[in-house]
Amino acid sequence: MTDALPHSLATEPTTASPTKVVARDINVFYGDNHALRNVSIDIPDRNVMAFIGPSGCGKSTFLRCLNRMNDTIEEARVSGSLCIDGREVYDKSVDPVVLRARVGMVFQKPNPFPKSIYDNVAYGPRIHGLARTREELDAIVEESLNKAGLWNEVKDRLLEPGTSLSGGQQQRLVIARAIAVQPEVILMDEPCSALDPIATARIEELIDELRKNYCIIIVTHSMQQAARVSQKTAFFHLGSLVEVGPTEEIFTNPRDPRTQDYITGRFG
Amino acid sequence: MSVISFIALILLVLVAGGFYYGRIRSIRLVQGDTVLLHSLPNYHGYYAAIWAGLPAFLLLAAYGLFSGFIVDRLAAIELHTQASGLNARYEQLVDTDDRFRDLEQNVILLGARVETINAEIDTARSGVVQPAEQVALLRQQALDLLNQSTRAEEELRLYSQQLAAQVSESARSEGVSLVSLAGFELEQTPRERRTLFLSDARRLTEGELASRDTPELRAAGAVISAYQANFRNFVAVSALVLGFVGLIRAHLKVGPGFRARNSVERLITTVLFISSGLAVLTTVGIVASLLFESMRFFGEVPLHEFLFGLQWSPQIAIREDQIGQTGVFGAVPLFAGTALITVIAMLVAVPIGLFSAIYLSEYAGSRFRLTAKPVLEILAGIPTVVYGYFALLTVGPALRALFGAIGIEDVDLKSALSAGLVMGVMIIPFISSLADDVINAVPQSLRDGSYAMGATKSETISKVIMPAALPGLVGAVLLAVSRAIGETMIVVMAAGQGANLTANPLESVTTITVQIVTLLTGDQNFDSAKTLSAFALGLVLFVLTLIMNMMALRVVQRYREKYD
Repeated sequence: MTDALPHSLATEPTTASPTKVVARDINVFYGDNHALRNVSIDIPDRNVMAFIGPSGCGKSTFLRCLNRMNDTIEEARVSGSLCIDGREVYDKSVDPVVLRARVGMVFQKPNPFPKSIYDNVAYGPRIHGLARTREELDAIVEESLNKAGLWNEVKDRLLEPGTSLSGGQQQRLVIARAIAVQPEVILMDEPCSALDPIATARIEELIDELRKNYCIIIVTHSMQQAARVSQKTAFFHLGSLVEVGPTEEIFTNPRDPRTQDYITGRFG
Repeated sequence: MSVISFIALILLVLVAGGFYYGRIRSIRLVQGDTVLLHSLPNYHGYYAAIWAGLPAFLLLAAYGLFSGFIVDRLAAIELHTQASGLNARYEQLVDTDDRFRDLEQNVILLGARVETINAEIDTARSGVVQPAEQVALLRQQALDLLNQSTRAEEELRLYSQQLAAQVSESARSEGVSLVSLAGFELEQTPRERRTLFLSDARRLTEGELASRDTPELRAAGAVISAYQANFRNFVAVSALVLGFVGLIRAHLKVGPGFRARNSVERLITTVLFISSGLAVLTTVGIVASLLFESMRFFGEVPLHEFLFGLQWSPQIAIREDQIGQTGVFGAVPLFAGTALITVIAMLVAVPIGLFSAIYLSEYAGSRFRLTAKPVLEILAGIPTVVYGYFALLTVGPALRALFGAIGIEDVDLKSALSAGLVMGVMIIPFISSLADDVINAVPQSLRDGSYAMGATKSETISKVIMPAALPGLVGAVLLAVSRAIGETMIVVMAAGQGANLTANPLESVTTITVQIVTLLTGDQNFDSAKTLSAFALGLVLFVLTLIMNMMALRVVQRYREKYD
């Protein structure tokens, strides 16, 4: 198993934070299309891991393996071993519904439900029965909005529709919605690609804040963003994981020529 | 081959030639470097083809529509001029004839007396007390006078015909031309029969059967056909000239700087505008006729009686001696029947249609969806008449047997329930395909968002997708309701005709559409309130469905704004 590990990881001294996600030989097929080839990676807890790579390189596909969102695609097949906290995600006994409560996800385009701001955040706690009383629910909503840095902006209009917020606010609302179920891992699939630079800066600050408590994995097309927010970076190319290591090292001293070419903008 | 089709053929050749000519000329003018052209060579071709063909074909179309009328007019004028000599002779004869003058004066005198006696009767009836016998006497006198006057008129007419016959007799023996005689005859024919005269003349020259066959008619026919030939040749030549003028115009215009593309675009815009204008005008016309006839109905039956009356019995006496047939036009039983059947249909169609849409769009595998959707659409394609006899022959008896088995005996064979159930089945595919579209229009990102929160499929559907799709679903249901209200064939066959005011679905009821059908089938007198009531019902139907559709559109629009 370990022979598939990229050499960078094997030689890397163990980081301060313990490993949260361990993936070995993950392969994903969409019908006949072999989208992800033999990906093995360790992802540390309380850290931001950035996935970079050209479009169609498999980084989003891998992200969607982590909370089994690929299950919702009819023709997708996944093989290999993927453990979160040492428990196999693709084990038959694992209920994807429960798994997804532990692994939150934020999408490229803000997708608030056509409900009020309050109901958007309360959605997860309600379906998972996390609050015993109305007061508990109120507290969860406030705390989540606080963590997402949105509370002060929306506390007076919690009953207005979530879709009435601006794009950046919507994205923070969606993050609040994701952390309301107290996940351990947060997956972000290009969370800033639909936002302007100011809203992007706010989300990035938020990510840095959230890093203290969560394992965050972010897919991004912006090299600068990866450099700004992440501690570790993984470079995907044509469905394979090419290189993974501390962000600084990847950007200043990549080992693989493909990584070098990509980050210097020679192809993309 | 007739001249006109020959010309049309030539024009087609001109059009095709125009296209190639316009194309080639435009290319030639820039020495093959088509980049220099403002418009693509094809547009120059289209431009030339349009100018070569369109005006000429419009002329031919107008010729086809109006040539008969114009030729008749021209021939009538010709005949009139030809007959002027004979007319003068006849006028002179009439002026000098004493008997004619007497008869004419007699007619005038009698007419005046009829008017006086009518006025007398009016005063006798309206004001001062007059013995009834005297009024009766006056009336008798008036009737007599009227008879006399009619007789006098008839006598005058016959005598003038005699005089006219004299004139034509003598003219014929003098050898006056047949055309003049025909013109004189036409002049003497009463106005309403002149068209017949002309069409007889026309038919005789074409060798077809006519109501009469005289040398004069044949002469008139010759005049008409001469005019026809001339007119046709004139039009044919004009069409050709128009075609060539169009080509020349194109020849002059085509060039590197000419905006042929914009001209073609303008023509397309015009054609499209005319088409949509025609559609709108038709609608306006239909609504106007509906309104107009309804007004006439409400002139006879007050609006409130129609809208709130509880009894519907539209039979009206055609003859005065029929009894008990006064006609009552309270439409509430029809509204109630329509509502009852619509509610039953919706109770069937909304849940089944909605659930099947949810299953098809959210749960079903692609293979099942690919088979099930077309099958549902076949259901939508079944003619309603087939649903009608399904309701009448299968569902009606089955319901009676079913309710008989549980001890309810008085189930009508034609009942609101059977019509409503079958109508519901008919509407299922309508709702299901509309709802399917609406549900599919909910962005996938919302589903992903919900699944990523750890929601199950049914939680996602009930808590995220349905609320997002709700306005669209409401719109779909409203459209279905307006469809149910307007549905005719099923209820005509399966709901019955008796206007019962009842909420019991096992009884037979009648609906607005059924009554319109019964009121307007068979021989009708279009003046009676009975027939006119159909228009009032139609108006109600129109207003109801209009309101439903507008509400539905409103709701659907609001929904669209949310996601775009």
